[in-house]
Amino acid sequence: MGVVCVYAFPVPEGKSGQQVVDSLQKQVELLGAVKTGNFSVDCETYQANTQAGTLTTTPQRLIHVLHNSEQPASCFSVLDTGTTLIADVLFDVLIHKLTSGKAGKEAFYQQRKGSKMESKGPRYELSDFIIKIGSVSMASNFKGILVEVEYSPCSVPTECWNLMRELMQSFMGNVAETPPTLVKNKMDNFYLPGDTINQYLEHFTNFRKQTVMGQPIR
Amino acid sequence: MALAGVTVSIEAVHENQIQEVTLDGQEICVPPLSMSECLAKSAQKIDFAEEDGEEKGKTTSEEETEAQEKESSAFQPSLWPWDSVRNKLKAAYTETGVLLDVLNIAKEKKYMVLAHVQQDTNEPKSALQILAKKKAFGLQSISSGLSTAASVLMGGADRLKKSQQEIGNRQQTEFHFELHNLRQNWRLKKVGNSIIGDLSYRSAGSRFWQGGTFEVTKNTMLPSEQVEGTNTHSALEVVIPSELEGSSYVQVEVKHVSESTGLMHATLKLPNSFGKYPADAHWQTKLEVAQNVLFCKELFSQLAREATQLKSSVPHVVVGNQIFTNIFPSVQLSIILCHATGKGDEKSQPRPPKVEHNHVLEHSLHQLLREVHHKTLHLDPPHPVTATFGMTKRRRLAGPSGMSRADLKEMSESETLLEQIIKQARHEVLRVRTMTTIDRLASTIPDPQIMAHWSCLNSSLQSNVKIIITSNGYDGLRLTWQSLDLEIGTDSIKVVTKDRRILMLSFLEKELEDLIRWQVSQHHISLSQNLARLMGWQILSYNGCSGVGEMEDFATASSIQLVAPNNDRMLSIRSGITSGLHVYLKIDSKDSLDPSLTALVDPKWLNLSGTFKEIDMEQIDGRNFAAKLEFIMAMVKQKR
Amino acid sequence: MYMDQLNQAVKGGIAPFHEYLLQGSIVDSSKDVLVHRLRGLCDNADSNPEAFHDHEMIFSLKGSPQQQPMTVYLRHSLIQTDCWHLRYVGSTEFGDKTRQTLVRSCVDIGVSDSIVKFLNEIGFKLEYEFVAKGYFFHKGRMKVTVSKLFKMNIQGDVNNIDPLTLSCLVELSVVVPTGQEQVGEDMKNFAEQLKPLVQLEKVDHRRQQQAAT
Repeated sequence: MGVVCVYAFPVPEGKSGQQVVDSLQKQVELLGAVKTGNFSVDCETYQANTQAGTLTTTPQRLIHVLHNSEQPASCFSVLDTGTTLIADVLFDVLIHKLTSGKAGKEAFYQQRKGSKMESKGPRYELSDFIIKIGSVSMASNFKGILVEVEYSPCSVPTECWNLMRELMQSFMGNVAETPPTLVKNKMDNFYLPGDTINQYLEHFTNFRKQTVMGQPIR
Repeated sequence: MALAGVTVSIEAVHENQIQEVTLDGQEICVPPLSMSECLAKSAQKIDFAEEDGEEKGKTTSEEETEAQEKESSAFQPSLWPWDSVRNKLKAAYTETGVLLDVLNIAKEKKYMVLAHVQQDTNEPKSALQILAKKKAFGLQSISSGLSTAASVLMGGADRLKKSQQEIGNRQQTEFHFELHNLRQNWRLKKVGNSIIGDLSYRSAGSRFWQGGTFEVTKNTMLPSEQVEGTNTHSALEVVIPSELEGSSYVQVEVKHVSESTGLMHATLKLPNSFGKYPADAHWQTKLEVAQNVLFCKELFSQLAREATQLKSSVPHVVVGNQIFTNIFPSVQLSIILCHATGKGDEKSQPRPPKVEHNHVLEHSLHQLLREVHHKTLHLDPPHPVTATFGMTKRRRLAGPSGMSRADLKEMSESETLLEQIIKQARHEVLRVRTMTTIDRLASTIPDPQIMAHWSCLNSSLQSNVKIIITSNGYDGLRLTWQSLDLEIGTDSIKVVTKDRRILMLSFLEKELEDLIRWQVSQHHISLSQNLARLMGWQILSYNGCSGVGEMEDFATASSIQLVAPNNDRMLSIRSGITSGLHVYLKIDSKDSLDPSLTALVDPKWLNLSGTFKEIDMEQIDGRNFAAKLEFIMAMVKQKR
Repeated sequence: MYMDQLNQAVKGGIAPFHEYLLQGSIVDSSKDVLVHRLRGLCDNADSNPEAFHDHEMIFSLKGSPQQQPMTVYLRHSLIQTDCWHLRYVGSTEFGDKTRQTLVRSCVDIGVSDSIVKFLNEIGFKLEYEFVAKGYFFHKGRMKVTVSKLFKMNIQGDVNNIDPLTLSCLVELSVVVPTGQEQVGEDMKNFAEQLKPLVQLEKVDHRRQQQAAT
């Protein structure tokens, strides 16, 4: 597992998301990267069903279930307390069981409607780097752009941060000045797949907040 | 006794029974019994089991006769009261005496024999016979008791004798003994009345569709009926299914074919005259041979299946019982399944052409298939035990540890049997080529010695060799060596030179030869360099690849310039691969300079003039170039 | 094709596998005989039987009183400590007379070691736990385990254990993708070979639970 940095690329006024994505793609291709397919990271949120009032957890518990096409055999789930679980893909079946109510009875957990978020896009490989440019959408509404850069050979962020920054700044500019908060917090420790997922989740949450905040303005 | 004076008339009882009364009142009486009949009747009443029965019997009969006499003599006056008694006794004694004599005579069987008398059932038997019979009956009961006891003992002795003989080599128990031996080596099962065995590799992990079941029967042929000169007789016969009869092996051959033949020509070879096992070979041999046939069949069918399904750059051709593929452009690998049923005629079997077996690769094939079997059976046990069974531990942990797509792909890749054997064949070809090239060069190039040290640790896919080039007599100093490390893989050879440069060579032999020749030419120059240091000569210039002079066919020439310690002699050596080794010497001539200038000019300027002259190395004494050069350097060094 | 089936099942939330199960028990004193016989009957007769040492925790989530609580079984190995395994089993169809064995749908999930914290935070509570030690055999795809169960005197302490009973639990199980029928027959035939040492039969768990409560 390498070191992964995920950044939200801002969409300047007047430009559509698609245009920004295209320009980024062109820059990456100019660097010499080779397109090797597409990637997708998706997230669904479930909420504890306390209508029946008997689930003893307070406050309401949220489960985020994420999948990453880079790790096709795994299914990630993160709670709002921060506990991360990495499991086989069959974990989805278990979640389904948690959330499906039998006839007449309520389920333990309920899916939050309309809050499925996805980041999809092309995947490039540039020798030891893997660059992914994803457009984020929530229920098919475009929300923003997330760029992920992975450096596979190294697992400790301190060792390779400078190298990564150089590459990222060459096509992303000043967005990649500092490492993402999660990575900053564990610069000297081993980087784990769960950290990538947490970075994504953080961005998704931000995007969701933006929507909520943005609504009153409109 | 009747009282005197009283006349009592005793009348005999009408002793004769009245048989019949005729119609006219006449009485017909039963005739009275004769004496012998009377005696016989009396004797019948006697119980001879009692000891004094005889006496009693006699007295009884005597009494009876006496009574009879008495009655008959009632009418006669008695002379003496005991007279009649005496008469009677005498008569009886006489008769007994006569009987005793008769018996004694009859016992001797010389004059008289007791013969059985045919009688009516109601007729009383003769006394003699009855007596004899009674005696015999007693004896008989004793003897019958003895005989039953004897027969029991005889029976037991017979059985013991039989079992002792059976332990040797007799028919019935030998069968079971052999069956016991058979069972220790093979799996047997009793189905109904017959015994079926399994000689396939199913229990060892094979998933081949064809099973091998054999039947065990008793051998009904007696040892005496066997043909002379054959093996020892066994009580067991095994019947092998017809498709596994005969013997077979898989032949692997690597041969050079010319480019033009390609893969289109494949002749069907059906060798017939090998491994013909006699029909009455020992059952263990038969079963092993049949098992081998099954194994070879499975191996070949797996290879053929892979050959047709595998998509590779070089096509594989499967024709009948042969698989061909080109592993290198002009090298062909052929795998042939040879199965001889041994049913062919004895006469019409021509000698098959000599085939080059590659035993190493054949053995490798067998090992590879066995490994496949092993993997089927030996699955990773799941920890904890409720985890999914059938996956390797790594695959099971793939989910929880977040393995990336590349890792998963790497894990799921596995090589087929055919690919593996092709790789091994390739490596073998490369290795053999390398060996022959090095050996050829070592024998053709006399001057520096080429030595090859092969690593004793190698695998079927990789070998290492270290080539050392030295000059004879100058190899004590490590500096004078030139060395190369070769790593022979399946497709290419990786070369690491002494200065740690890495070169990749392809499978062509010429490339390796060129490389070694170039190293040899480099060796001369580096040797000169080291010699110069030792001798005190100065090195003016060393050029590893000189761009001047005639061009070599491949690689470059190298050259070196040396100056003698007192600066008056200069050596220039150029070594090229195709141009050879040339040594030039410059001796400056003092004559060309004006003698008057010698006082003003530093002697070193005198070195500028002079021409190089080539030295004919053939004429110099010395075993090799190094010795010659040393000689030159020593001779040439002169004080001014 | 198998992956497609799996994906479909996963998306639909249907458990893709079925477990066929037969259980029995044997007294401790005869356990060695059974192990010896199993060694001969199962694959890999030439190597030593695999020993395992697992710790199992049962969590359940209770909703409203009318709801059936949801139970999951978490098991991890004390020999290879990086393997955690979560299991969810469906209800068993017991009444089916044609089935020789107990059949139930099951979901087997490998998880990372943060699972305990995760479950606790979701709302699952630890109902009970135990330690199982024993031997593992396999024949083809059939799993046979002979396990001795221990109760833990102190919650969470795996070393302070006492045996629960004087006998061992013997289980014969196969996990196959949905739709294969021949499995029950094979299992029954195998179970026949272990008689009279141990009678493997399908056990009605519900009846036992009712009897216990």
